Amino acid sequence: MKKIKILTITLLMVAVTMIAFLGIYTQKQNRMENLVKDYEWGMDLKGSRNIRLKLNTESKTVIKDAEGKEVEDTENLTDEQLIEKGYHKEEIPNNSEDVKTLENYKTAKKIIEKRLEKLGVNNYQISLDEQTGDMVIDLPENGATDSIISNLYTVGKFEIIDSQTKEVLMNNNDVKQARVMYGGGENGTTIYLEIEFEKEGAKKLEEISNQYQTTQNSETEENTTTDSNTTQENATENTDTTSTEKKITMNIDDTEIMSTSFEEPVRTGRLQLSFGSSSTDAKTIQQSANQASSMATVLDTGNIPVKYALDENQYIFSDITKNEMEIAVYVILAIMVLGLIVLFIKYKKLGALGVISYIGFVSFMLIIIRYANVTLSIEGVFGIAITFVLNYILVYGLLAKIEERKEVYKDFFIKMIPIMIMVITFCFINWLPISSFGMVMFWGIALIALYNSILTNSLLKIETRKEK
Amino acid sequence: MKELSKKTKIVSVLIAIIILVGMIILFTKGLNFDLKYQEAQKVQLYLQKEFEIEDIKQITNEVLPNQNVMIQKVEVFEDTISIIAKEITNEQKTSMVNKVNEKYGLDLSADETVITNVPHTRGRDIIKPYILPFIIATVIILAYMAIRYYKLGLVKTLFKTIAILIVAQATLLSVMAIVRIPIGRLTIPLVIAVYLLSLIGMTSYLEKELIEKKKEEE
Repeated sequence: MKKIKILTITLLMVAVTMIAFLGIYTQKQNRMENLVKDYEWGMDLKGSRNIRLKLNTESKTVIKDAEGKEVEDTENLTDEQLIEKGYHKEEIPNNSEDVKTLENYKTAKKIIEKRLEKLGVNNYQISLDEQTGDMVIDLPENGATDSIISNLYTVGKFEIIDSQTKEVLMNNNDVKQARVMYGGGENGTTIYLEIEFEKEGAKKLEEISNQYQTTQNSETEENTTTDSNTTQENATENTDTTSTEKKITMNIDDTEIMSTSFEEPVRTGRLQLSFGSSSTDAKTIQQSANQASSMATVLDTGNIPVKYALDENQYIFSDITKNEMEIAVYVILAIMVLGLIVLFIKYKKLGALGVISYIGFVSFMLIIIRYANVTLSIEGVFGIAITFVLNYILVYGLLAKIEERKEVYKDFFIKMIPIMIMVITFCFINWLPISSFGMVMFWGIALIALYNSILTNSLLKIETRKEK
Repeated sequence: MKELSKKTKIVSVLIAIIILVGMIILFTKGLNFDLKYQEAQKVQLYLQKEFEIEDIKQITNEVLPNQNVMIQKVEVFEDTISIIAKEITNEQKTSMVNKVNEKYGLDLSADETVITNVPHTRGRDIIKPYILPFIIATVIILAYMAIRYYKLGLVKTLFKTIAILIVAQATLLSVMAIVRIPIGRLTIPLVIAVYLLSLIGMTSYLEKELIEKKKEEE
């Protein structure tokens, strides 16, 4: 009976080991497919999106009058007409010489870092060429990567200007924070971008909303150029102008987001802009939310003092080759085999059971990390190795003091408490190398606790009873 | 107060010397960074077909002797290669392109192949994301230590734990500076390993002390 029990547990271990190392294959459309989930690799082991941001060297042509003032609405004028009117063309570089400073490059880098964090990028590497201002950024490849990249180098210049005089009334310095909000109604969900202003900014906004008020007899109609078409709360919809009415224009990176006047003074220091119309379609809502979130990130992180252009954008594989990975795995396996031989030589029959239990643990661990959706970085792989070492120490201890297994177990986990604290803390950190290590170790320690108290203990119990 | 054993004294002096020498080297020569984090130069070649990294490695070993080279496949079709080295001259670039043409029967132009600069990554940028997690974990661990081992003396326990953690990390940093181990992918696992070892060591020591204290009380 005891032999059957040991054999059953051993067979279970063998089955799990085969699944962990070889997988379960089924035929799918003339090819064999492994049903066991594959590992998820981090950017250091798999590959990353590599982008190079170069200082924008282009320039824009502006039309100026004889006094040097910029003139608008000249698209339809021919060169002759421009001369007739006394206008002249001027090439203005996107980055003038006075903005090309180290301080500005460093500020730009800091803003890009902030944006990466706000956009939830959990692993990146950023390097700045202090001479040229060029930046090389590595970030993880996933469905959101393209959208993240497009938000990284947007200047993010926010301005509220007088629609007629083009006088800048408010800018980024007045913005405290921007966030995405959801509003529910009969027609579905509406996404809002809420811009909260600083104390001084809030005062300015109140003054502006007093000054740029919609007259009572005005007609209201939508008049926007982008997705944002209304402002909520105090001053919202784009109002058709009356002869006396003054309007403000909201620009981001010199692109008009909306033009509006206010229905009543804004005293809350907050503006809410709706993104798209109300919808019940999850996809539409998500799209609007993503747009609003991108804009909130750009507004929240301030404007980049220099203009960048995307020079390189490519997926680059890890420099750690399959060959190098295999070598690392073989080294770990070799150390493991040596350790298990020691266990077997030292504790004979019990040692053999320890070996069976240990191999089973390794297999269970490799399956768990695949199904627990742990993304493996180098730190994660290191976590797996640590887990194997810790389990070896426990198994060795259990075999050494076979009659005091409970004490060994208790003693081991008391010593593990600080490590468990560290591991749990790391699980909550939004930085992949750290969270990968934390998650792997979390599952590892949990498995050490459960596996050894159930399976290893059962094996040893059966064998020690037999010996008695 | 317990007197330190001869062995402990020797180990302490040895660690102090390592830290002292390490700090001198750290402030004079700085740390040695892996090529991945160094200022380097890059050449990218479109091979138009799949290739083996080992073959490219052979070419770079011939063209860029005694240089640490990072070779990476680019784009999903894996038909472009990125070669990064500390320094690549125009002659080396031409030689590399010629050898690749010869090996793969291509007609790549050395003139059209550009050498681009790869800026270095600052050490503080590498370690920045790890500082807060370690501080949070350490603070919680210290709080636990203070509660569990309060019988051994709060100040003494905390002081010893903090000292062990700092000395262990300082020793690692010094060894890395002295032996010129490059700061790279394995640095953080090393830091974690030393942190774990110092925690396990400290907990074992304090547990032993606690048992002795309880025995004394009984």
